Amino acid sequence: MQRRDFFKLVGGVSLVAIAPSLIEGELRAEDGTLFKAYNKVQLIDAQGNPLLASKLTKEENYVFNYPHVGTSCMLLALPGITEKNVKLFSEDGEEYIFKGGVGKNANIVAYSAICPHQLTHINKNDAFISYTKIGETTMACKQESVIVCGSHLSAYDPHKGCKVIAGPAPQPLANIVLEHHDDDTLWAVAVLGPDKFHDFFKSFKPELKEQYGGKRKAKKLVSDVATTVALVDFTKDIIKY
Amino acid sequence: MITNYFAGKKIILTLIVLLLSSSLSANDTVDRAKLKSTMRNMLKSMELIQRGGFYANPQQMKAGVSSLKRYLALLDAKHAKTYLPNDEKYAYKFAVKREKMITMYADDIIESLTTNNMDDALEDYSQILKQCSSCHLRIRK
Repeated sequence: MQRRDFFKLVGGVSLVAIAPSLIEGELRAEDGTLFKAYNKVQLIDAQGNPLLASKLTKEENYVFNYPHVGTSCMLLALPGITEKNVKLFSEDGEEYIFKGGVGKNANIVAYSAICPHQLTHINKNDAFISYTKIGETTMACKQESVIVCGSHLSAYDPHKGCKVIAGPAPQPLANIVLEHHDDDTLWAVAVLGPDKFHDFFKSFKPELKEQYGGKRKAKKLVSDVATTVALVDFTKDIIKY
Repeated sequence: MITNYFAGKKIILTLIVLLLSSSLSANDTVDRAKLKSTMRNMLKSMELIQRGGFYANPQQMKAGVSSLKRYLALLDAKHAKTYLPNDEKYAYKFAVKREKMITMYADDIIESLTTNNMDDALEDYSQILKQCSSCHLRIRK
Protein backbone atom coordinates (compact mmCIF):
# COMPACT_ATOMS: atom_id res chain seq x y z
CA MET A 1 0.00 0.00 0.00
CA GLN A 2 1.29 3.44 -0.97
CA ARG A 3 1.88 5.89 1.87
CA ARG A 4 -0.80 8.24 0.38
CA ASP A 5 -3.43 5.45 0.29
CA PHE A 6 -2.59 4.51 3.83
CA PHE A 7 -3.17 8.07 5.07
CA LYS A 8 -6.45 8.24 3.11
CA LEU A 9 -7.67 5.07 4.81
CA VAL A 10 -6.62 6.20 8.29
CA GLY A 11 -8.18 9.62 7.67
CA GLY A 12 -11.48 8.11 6.56
CA VAL A 13 -11.72 5.75 9.52
CA SER A 14 -10.89 8.58 11.96
CA LEU A 15 -13.57 10.83 10.44
CA VAL A 16 -16.23 8.19 10.95
CA ALA A 17 -15.00 7.56 14.49
CA ILE A 18 -15.27 11.29 15.30
CA ALA A 19 -18.65 11.86 13.64
CA PRO A 20 -20.93 8.81 13.56
CA SER A 21 -23.37 10.73 11.37
CA LEU A 22 -20.95 10.19 8.49
CA ILE A 23 -21.85 6.50 8.46
CA GLU A 24 -24.57 5.91 5.92
CA GLY A 25 -26.62 2.76 6.06
CA GLU A 26 -28.47 0.64 8.52
CA LEU A 27 -26.97 -0.59 11.74
CA ARG A 28 -28.54 -3.21 13.94
CA ALA A 29 -26.16 -3.27 16.84
CA GLU A 30 -26.16 -5.98 19.47
CA ASP A 31 -26.95 -3.43 22.14
CA GLY A 32 -30.42 -3.14 20.69
CA THR A 33 -30.22 -0.07 18.49
CA LEU A 34 -32.05 0.12 15.21
CA PHE A 35 -30.37 3.02 13.54
CA LYS A 36 -30.14 4.35 10.01
CA ALA A 37 -27.91 7.30 9.23
CA TYR A 38 -28.92 9.71 6.46
CA ASN A 39 -27.47 12.99 5.23
CA LYS A 40 -26.49 15.35 7.99
CA VAL A 41 -28.89 18.24 7.54
CA GLN A 42 -29.00 21.59 9.31
CA LEU A 43 -32.39 22.85 10.45
CA ILE A 44 -33.06 26.38 9.24
CA ASP A 45 -36.01 28.73 9.60
CA ALA A 46 -38.26 30.00 6.79
CA GLN A 47 -35.88 32.92 6.17
CA GLY A 48 -32.93 30.58 5.70
CA ASN A 49 -31.30 31.38 9.04
CA PRO A 50 -30.00 28.57 11.25
CA LEU A 51 -32.64 27.40 13.68
CA LEU A 52 -31.32 27.90 17.21
CA ALA A 53 -32.31 25.51 19.96
CA SER A 54 -32.61 28.28 22.54
CA LYS A 55 -35.02 30.22 20.32
CA LEU A 56 -37.56 27.42 19.94
CA THR A 57 -40.94 28.10 21.49
CA LYS A 58 -41.75 25.45 24.05
CA GLU A 59 -44.54 23.11 22.94
CA GLU A 60 -44.79 24.67 19.48
CA ASN A 61 -45.30 21.92 16.93
CA TYR A 62 -42.59 22.56 14.30
CA VAL A 63 -42.33 20.62 11.05
CA PHE A 64 -39.44 19.83 8.74
CA ASN A 65 -39.02 17.24 6.02
CA TYR A 66 -36.41 14.53 6.61
CA PRO A 67 -34.79 12.23 5.57
CA HIS A 68 -36.77 12.34 2.31
CA VAL A 69 -38.10 15.45 0.59
CA GLY A 70 -41.65 14.13 1.08
CA THR A 71 -41.50 12.75 4.64
CA SER A 72 -42.52 15.21 7.34
CA CYS A 73 -41.21 15.19 10.87
CA MET A 74 -42.23 16.96 14.04
CA LEU A 75 -39.75 18.99 16.07
CA LEU A 76 -40.66 19.83 19.65
CA ALA A 77 -39.15 21.64 22.58
CA LEU A 78 -40.95 19.74 25.31
CA PRO A 79 -42.02 21.37 28.55
CA GLY A 80 -40.01 18.89 30.63
CA ILE A 81 -36.84 16.88 30.20
CA THR A 82 -36.99 13.64 28.31
CA GLU A 83 -36.33 10.24 29.78
CA LYS A 84 -32.96 8.72 28.93
CA ASN A 85 -32.23 5.21 27.66
CA VAL A 86 -35.83 4.19 27.12
CA LYS A 87 -36.16 0.61 25.89
CA LEU A 88 -38.56 0.48 22.94
CA PHE A 89 -39.75 -2.25 20.62
CA SER A 90 -40.60 -2.36 16.96
CA GLU A 91 -43.67 -4.16 15.65
CA ASP A 92 -41.56 -7.29 15.09
CA GLY A 93 -40.20 -7.24 18.60
CA GLU A 94 -36.85 -5.70 17.76
CA GLU A 95 -35.48 -3.69 20.64
CA TYR A 96 -33.88 -0.26 20.41
CA ILE A 97 -32.90 2.44 22.86
CA PHE A 98 -34.09 6.05 22.84
CA LYS A 99 -31.23 8.10 24.26
CA GLY A 100 -33.22 11.23 25.20
CA GLY A 101 -33.63 14.75 23.89
CA VAL A 102 -30.95 17.26 22.97
CA GLY A 103 -30.35 20.90 23.89
CA LYS A 104 -29.37 22.59 27.13
CA ASN A 105 -32.41 21.12 28.87
CA ALA A 106 -32.41 17.80 26.99
CA ASN A 107 -35.98 18.57 25.94
CA ILE A 108 -35.68 18.92 22.16
CA VAL A 109 -36.89 15.93 20.16
CA ALA A 110 -37.96 15.11 16.64
CA TYR A 111 -40.13 12.30 15.33
CA SER A 112 -41.34 11.09 11.99
CA ALA A 113 -44.90 12.32 11.45
CA ILE A 114 -46.08 9.03 9.92
CA CYS A 115 -48.32 7.01 12.23
CA PRO A 116 -47.32 3.33 12.00
CA HIS A 117 -50.93 2.18 12.34
CA GLN A 118 -52.43 3.29 9.02
CA LEU A 119 -49.80 5.79 7.87
CA THR A 120 -51.69 8.94 8.80
CA HIS A 121 -49.21 11.76 8.30
CA ILE A 122 -48.75 15.49 8.14
CA ASN A 123 -49.10 16.94 4.66
CA LYS A 124 -49.66 20.35 3.14
CA ASN A 125 -53.46 19.98 3.15
CA ASP A 126 -54.08 18.63 6.62
CA ALA A 127 -52.53 17.25 9.77
CA PHE A 128 -54.43 14.54 11.60
CA ILE A 129 -51.36 13.80 13.72
CA SER A 130 -49.83 16.45 15.96
CA TYR A 131 -48.62 17.39 19.42
CA THR A 132 -51.17 18.12 22.13
CA LYS A 133 -49.98 20.74 24.58
CA ILE A 134 -50.27 20.73 28.35
CA GLY A 135 -53.80 21.86 29.19
CA GLU A 136 -55.24 20.59 25.90
CA THR A 137 -57.48 17.56 26.10
CA THR A 138 -57.60 14.64 23.71
CA MET A 139 -59.99 11.72 23.29
CA ALA A 140 -57.03 9.38 22.95
CA CYS A 141 -55.80 9.47 26.54
CA LYS A 142 -55.81 11.40 29.79
CA GLN A 143 -52.09 12.18 29.70
CA GLU A 144 -51.06 15.65 28.53
CA SER A 145 -48.09 16.66 26.40
CA VAL A 146 -48.52 13.78 23.98
CA ILE A 147 -48.55 13.24 20.23
CA VAL A 148 -51.96 12.05 19.05
CA CYS A 149 -52.98 10.53 15.75
CA GLY A 150 -56.54 11.69 15.28
CA SER A 151 -57.39 9.02 12.73
CA HIS A 152 -57.73 6.11 15.16
CA LEU A 153 -56.67 7.83 18.37
CA SER A 154 -53.23 6.41 18.97
CA ALA A 155 -51.21 8.42 21.47
CA TYR A 156 -47.44 8.58 21.90
CA ASP A 157 -45.27 9.93 24.69
CA PRO A 158 -42.63 12.18 23.10
CA HIS A 159 -40.70 12.30 26.41
CA LYS A 160 -40.10 8.56 26.13
CA GLY A 161 -39.11 8.11 22.48
CA CYS A 162 -42.76 8.19 21.40
CA LYS A 163 -43.69 5.02 23.20
CA VAL A 164 -47.29 4.07 22.43
CA ILE A 165 -49.51 4.91 25.40
CA ALA A 166 -52.94 4.46 23.80
CA GLY A 167 -54.70 3.28 20.68
CA PRO A 168 -54.01 0.69 18.01
CA ALA A 169 -50.50 1.80 16.91
CA PRO A 170 -48.24 -1.27 16.85
CA GLN A 171 -44.96 0.58 17.50
CA PRO A 172 -43.54 4.00 18.40
CA LEU A 173 -43.07 6.83 15.92
CA ALA A 174 -39.58 6.70 14.44
CA ASN A 175 -37.20 9.04 16.24
CA ILE A 176 -35.22 11.56 14.19
CA VAL A 177 -31.76 11.70 15.74
CA LEU A 178 -30.68 15.30 16.33
CA GLU A 179 -27.35 16.88 17.08
CA HIS A 180 -27.09 20.11 19.04
CA HIS A 181 -23.87 21.94 18.31
CA ASP A 182 -21.94 24.40 20.48
CA ASP A 183 -23.21 27.30 18.37
CA ASP A 184 -26.78 26.30 19.36
CA THR A 185 -27.64 25.01 15.87
CA LEU A 186 -29.67 21.85 15.34
CA TRP A 187 -28.92 19.09 12.86
CA ALA A 188 -30.84 15.99 11.82
CA VAL A 189 -28.52 13.07 11.25
CA ALA A 190 -30.36 9.76 11.39
CA VAL A 191 -33.50 7.80 12.07
CA LEU A 192 -33.75 5.61 15.15
CA GLY A 193 -36.37 2.90 15.38
CA PRO A 194 -38.53 1.33 12.72
CA ASP A 195 -39.69 3.77 10.06
CA LYS A 196 -42.60 3.48 7.66
CA PHE A 197 -41.03 5.30 4.72
CA HIS A 198 -41.25 2.36 2.32
CA ASP A 199 -44.96 1.77 2.99
CA PHE A 200 -45.59 5.51 2.88
CA PHE A 201 -44.10 5.93 -0.60
CA LYS A 202 -45.96 2.86 -1.82
CA SER A 203 -49.31 4.03 -0.46
CA PHE A 204 -49.48 7.73 -1.27
CA LYS A 205 -48.36 7.92 -4.87
CA PRO A 206 -51.21 10.22 -6.02
CA GLU A 207 -50.80 12.53 -3.04
CA LEU A 208 -47.04 12.75 -3.54
CA LYS A 209 -47.63 13.62 -7.17
CA GLU A 210 -49.97 16.43 -6.14
CA GLN A 211 -47.72 17.81 -3.39
CA TYR A 212 -44.16 17.10 -4.56
CA GLY A 213 -44.49 16.51 -8.28
CA GLY A 214 -44.17 12.73 -8.07
CA LYS A 215 -43.00 9.84 -5.95
CA ARG A 216 -39.44 10.00 -7.24
CA LYS A 217 -39.07 13.66 -6.31
CA ALA A 218 -40.62 13.06 -2.89
CA LYS A 219 -38.28 10.14 -2.28
CA LYS A 220 -35.12 12.17 -2.85
CA LEU A 221 -32.99 12.51 0.24
CA VAL A 222 -32.83 15.92 1.85
CA SER A 223 -29.34 17.34 1.79
CA ASP A 224 -27.61 20.26 3.51
CA VAL A 225 -30.60 22.06 5.04
CA ALA A 226 -34.20 21.44 6.06
CA THR A 227 -36.59 24.35 6.42
CA THR A 228 -38.42 24.17 9.71
CA VAL A 229 -41.71 25.96 10.25
CA ALA A 230 -44.57 25.90 12.71
CA LEU A 231 -47.24 23.33 11.85
CA VAL A 232 -49.82 26.09 11.38
CA ASP A 233 -47.66 27.52 8.60
CA PHE A 234 -47.02 24.13 7.01
CA THR A 235 -50.53 22.78 6.67
CA LYS A 236 -53.98 24.23 5.90
CA ASP A 237 -55.92 22.36 8.55
CA ILE A 238 -54.91 20.84 11.89
CA ILE A 239 -57.44 18.29 13.06
CA LYS A 240 -57.37 17.21 16.69
CA TYR A 241 -59.67 14.84 18.57
CA MET B 1 -111.17 30.76 31.31
CA ILE B 2 -107.50 31.75 31.64
CA THR B 3 -106.59 28.22 32.76
CA ASN B 4 -108.31 26.77 29.69
CA TYR B 5 -106.47 29.24 27.46
CA PHE B 6 -103.04 28.12 28.82
CA ALA B 7 -104.03 24.45 28.66
CA GLY B 8 -104.97 24.93 25.00
CA LYS B 9 -101.64 26.60 24.29
CA LYS B 10 -99.79 23.75 26.01
CA ILE B 11 -101.59 21.20 23.84
CA ILE B 12 -100.80 23.15 20.67
CA LEU B 13 -97.13 23.48 21.68
CA THR B 14 -96.89 19.78 22.50
CA LEU B 15 -98.45 18.93 19.15
CA ILE B 16 -95.98 21.18 17.32
CA VAL B 17 -93.04 19.58 19.14
CA LEU B 18 -94.37 16.09 18.40
CA LEU B 19 -94.92 16.92 14.74
CA LEU B 20 -91.46 18.43 14.40
CA SER B 21 -89.71 15.55 16.13
CA SER B 22 -91.59 12.92 14.11
CA SER B 23 -90.80 14.74 10.89
CA LEU B 24 -87.13 14.98 11.91
CA SER B 25 -87.11 11.31 12.83
CA ALA B 26 -88.75 10.48 9.49
CA ASN B 27 -86.06 12.51 7.73
CA ASP B 28 -83.41 10.70 9.73
CA THR B 29 -84.90 7.33 8.78
CA VAL B 30 -84.92 8.34 5.11
CA ASP B 31 -81.30 9.53 5.40
CA ARG B 32 -80.19 6.31 7.12
CA ALA B 33 -81.91 4.18 4.45
CA LYS B 34 -80.34 6.29 1.71
CA LEU B 35 -76.94 5.99 3.34
CA LYS B 36 -77.25 2.19 3.64
CA SER B 37 -78.23 1.92 -0.01
CA THR B 38 -75.32 4.17 -1.09
CA MET B 39 -72.88 2.11 0.97
CA ARG B 40 -74.19 -1.15 -0.55
CA ASN B 41 -73.75 0.30 -4.03
CA MET B 42 -70.23 1.43 -3.21
CA LEU B 43 -69.46 -2.10 -2.10
CA LYS B 44 -70.82 -3.43 -5.41
CA SER B 45 -68.62 -0.93 -7.26
CA MET B 46 -65.60 -2.18 -5.34
CA GLU B 47 -66.49 -5.76 -6.25
CA LEU B 48 -66.63 -4.71 -9.89
CA ILE B 49 -63.16 -3.15 -9.70
CA GLN B 50 -61.83 -6.26 -7.97
CA ARG B 51 -63.36 -8.61 -10.56
CA GLY B 52 -61.88 -6.47 -13.32
CA GLY B 53 -58.51 -6.78 -11.63
CA PHE B 54 -58.77 -10.54 -11.20
CA TYR B 55 -59.63 -11.10 -14.85
CA ALA B 56 -57.31 -8.37 -16.18
CA ASN B 57 -60.29 -6.53 -17.58
CA PRO B 58 -59.53 -2.77 -17.58
CA GLN B 59 -63.00 -1.88 -18.90
CA GLN B 60 -64.68 -3.57 -15.96
CA MET B 61 -62.33 -1.80 -13.57
CA LYS B 62 -63.12 1.55 -15.18
CA ALA B 63 -66.84 0.83 -14.92
CA GLY B 64 -66.35 0.05 -11.23
CA VAL B 65 -64.46 3.31 -10.69
CA SER B 66 -67.13 5.30 -12.45
CA SER B 67 -69.87 3.68 -10.37
CA LEU B 68 -67.88 4.16 -7.15
CA LYS B 69 -67.40 7.86 -7.83
CA ARG B 70 -71.07 8.29 -8.68
CA TYR B 71 -72.19 6.84 -5.33
CA LEU B 72 -69.41 8.59 -3.44
CA ALA B 73 -70.73 11.90 -4.75
CA LEU B 74 -74.10 11.08 -3.17
CA LEU B 75 -72.48 11.12 0.25
CA ASP B 76 -71.84 14.79 -0.32
CA ALA B 77 -68.63 15.58 1.50
CA LYS B 78 -69.84 19.05 2.43
CA HIS B 79 -72.62 17.59 4.54
CA ALA B 80 -70.81 14.68 6.15
CA LYS B 81 -72.34 15.66 9.48
CA THR B 82 -75.79 14.71 8.22
CA TYR B 83 -74.97 11.07 7.64
CA LEU B 84 -72.66 10.38 10.54
CA PRO B 85 -74.10 8.81 13.70
CA ASN B 86 -74.78 11.42 16.40
CA ASP B 87 -71.89 10.35 18.60
CA GLU B 88 -69.47 10.49 15.65
CA LYS B 89 -70.54 13.78 14.06
CA TYR B 90 -67.53 15.51 15.60
CA ALA B 91 -65.30 13.33 13.37
CA TYR B 92 -66.75 14.62 10.09
CA LYS B 93 -63.37 15.91 8.89
CA PHE B 94 -61.98 12.42 9.25
CA ALA B 95 -64.84 11.03 7.12
CA VAL B 96 -64.40 13.78 4.52
CA LYS B 97 -60.69 12.99 4.32
CA ARG B 98 -61.50 9.31 3.58
CA GLU B 99 -63.84 10.42 0.79
CA LYS B 100 -61.15 12.62 -0.72
CA MET B 101 -58.61 9.81 -0.55
CA ILE B 102 -61.01 7.36 -2.20
CA THR B 103 -61.58 9.86 -5.03
CA MET B 104 -57.84 10.38 -5.41
CA TYR B 105 -57.09 6.64 -5.65
CA ALA B 106 -60.08 6.06 -7.93
CA ASP B 107 -58.74 8.70 -10.33
CA ASP B 108 -55.32 7.08 -10.13
CA ILE B 109 -56.80 3.71 -11.13
CA ILE B 110 -57.95 5.30 -14.40
CA GLU B 111 -54.56 6.93 -14.90
CA SER B 112 -52.75 3.65 -14.19
CA LEU B 113 -55.01 1.75 -16.60
CA THR B 114 -54.41 4.37 -19.29
CA THR B 115 -50.70 3.55 -19.09
CA ASN B 116 -51.44 -0.21 -18.86
CA ASN B 117 -50.04 -0.35 -15.36
CA MET B 118 -52.27 -3.01 -13.82
CA ASP B 119 -50.02 -3.38 -10.75
CA ASP B 120 -50.48 0.27 -9.86
CA ALA B 121 -54.21 0.06 -10.50
CA LEU B 122 -54.49 -2.90 -8.12
CA GLU B 123 -52.41 -1.06 -5.54
CA ASP B 124 -54.85 1.87 -5.82
CA TYR B 125 -57.73 -0.57 -5.34
CA SER B 126 -56.17 -1.92 -2.14
CA GLN B 127 -55.65 1.65 -0.92
CA ILE B 128 -59.34 2.42 -1.48
CA LEU B 129 -60.18 -0.69 0.54
CA LYS B 130 -57.95 0.64 3.33
CA GLN B 131 -59.81 3.96 3.32
CA CYS B 132 -63.13 2.12 3.62
CA SER B 133 -61.92 -0.04 6.50
CA SER B 134 -60.26 2.95 8.17
CA CYS B 135 -63.58 4.80 8.25
CA HIS B 136 -65.55 1.75 9.37
CA LEU B 137 -63.00 1.09 12.10
CA ARG B 138 -63.42 4.59 13.48
CA ILE B 139 -67.01 5.56 12.66
CA ARG B 140 -69.12 2.48 12.10
CA LYS B 141 -67.51 0.05 14.62
